[in-house]
Amino acid sequence: MNEPHDDVKGLAGAYVLGSLDADERAAFETHLSTCDDCAAEVRAFRRVTDALAVGVPQRTPRPELRQRVLDALETATPAPPSRAAPQAREWPGWLPLAAMLVLTLGIGAYAARLQTRVSDLEARLDASLLQVAAADQLVADSRRVAAELQSAMGVLAAPDLARIDLAGQPAAPGARARALWSRARGMVFTASNLPPLPEGRVYQVWVVAGPAPISAGLLMPDAAGGGMAYYMTAPDIPAPRAIAVTLEPAGGLPAPTGAFYLMGAPGAAL
Amino acid sequence: MVMWLLAALAGFRPESAESQAEDRECLRRLAAGDRDAAAPLYDRHARAIYSLALRIVDDEGDAEDVVQDVFTQAWRQAARYDPSRGAVAAWLLMMARTRAIDKLRARRARSGPQSIEDERVMEQMPAGDRDVAAELLDAEQARMVQRALGELPLLQRLAIELAYYEGLTQREIAERLEEPLGTVKTRIRLGLLKLRESLAEGRG
Repeated sequence: MNEPHDDVKGLAGAYVLGSLDADERAAFETHLSTCDDCAAEVRAFRRVTDALAVGVPQRTPRPELRQRVLDALETATPAPPSRAAPQAREWPGWLPLAAMLVLTLGIGAYAARLQTRVSDLEARLDASLLQVAAADQLVADSRRVAAELQSAMGVLAAPDLARIDLAGQPAAPGARARALWSRARGMVFTASNLPPLPEGRVYQVWVVAGPAPISAGLLMPDAAGGGMAYYMTAPDIPAPRAIAVTLEPAGGLPAPTGAFYLMGAPGAAL
Repeated sequence: MVMWLLAALAGFRPESAESQAEDRECLRRLAAGDRDAAAPLYDRHARAIYSLALRIVDDEGDAEDVVQDVFTQAWRQAARYDPSRGAVAAWLLMMARTRAIDKLRARRARSGPQSIEDERVMEQMPAGDRDVAAELLDAEQARMVQRALGELPLLQRLAIELAYYEGLTQREIAERLEEPLGTVKTRIRLGLLKLRESLAEGRG
């Protein structure tokens, strides 16, 4: 108790790895003898170091080594019987037999119960696996969203930010969109009131900078016709003269083929 | 799946428990002065010991010396082995790591060989955690551990490998990587926690 728990509890891992300095180790050992939490943690980390010991490429030693090692023992002297001769007490001879009998009886009943438990667990395992897959997907999605948000924030903070408002075209007169463009950091695109996508179609966003429109990426609006997307755009293109949205086959195309839904140019009034 | 589970219950578990019991019996015989008990122990564990030593010392001759040292030491200290503190395999591997890192340190020609603290850790270890290393001792498990290591962020893995396989202290690692000690401590801790997690998953 002479070390406050908080100062030493982080040391269990390094202790088990044998990578503490002498003074830290002494402090930790003093603490260890009085702290069940740390003792439990040391045990848990010991599983890891045991694993590290076997987690190396397995190689078979030369066959000659066996004889050499066994020969060496012939000349080695055993240590004098040590102070601690633990667990050497002999058990009564009948004990293993009795234990075996109890075990056999127990195992029979246990196996019967296991059968039902196993099928029950199987069912639950299947359910859990589905949940895990869903959770993994969720995590991946949130990571992607987080990364996109970070990029989007980068765009919004860009010194060369340009704003381009897009107006609905005859195919979707009520639609509106806004593009925030930075040469270095990409483009944040928000749209609203887009008509629902027909089956097998997708909206595609185009940047008109050079002679031909360049695809920025696809846009999938939500049920209300709103959508937001972040697009990386090549940093070497000139500032866009216009931005447009067309309806294209699913997956998008290298050049626009479908009807224009939105269009806008820098400085043009909405 | 049911069949597989039952087969695993019927086959794997008792065998592992059985070989652990055989290991303990070998040590008991060694402690009683019976040198013949070393042979089965060698046959079961020499490969794992040699592999760990080779990983650390990176020299076949030195690794062979480590194997010999470990069995000599096991013979001398068999009476000191306490089964409540860990499997025989873990005990042998711990000695192997200690000897191997001693060699490494001697080779690095520091202030002479200084024994690292593994055996101390083993003796200080709270009792009640026996069946650990024996379940791990096969190639599939080795691959699993390597996979788990491979999934760690690179710097966490590096810190843990420097600590475990090179025998460096946290301070030495910080010096070698030219990083703050606190950073190294955090990496080791996070890496171990992550390893613990993925090993538990892999086993479960």
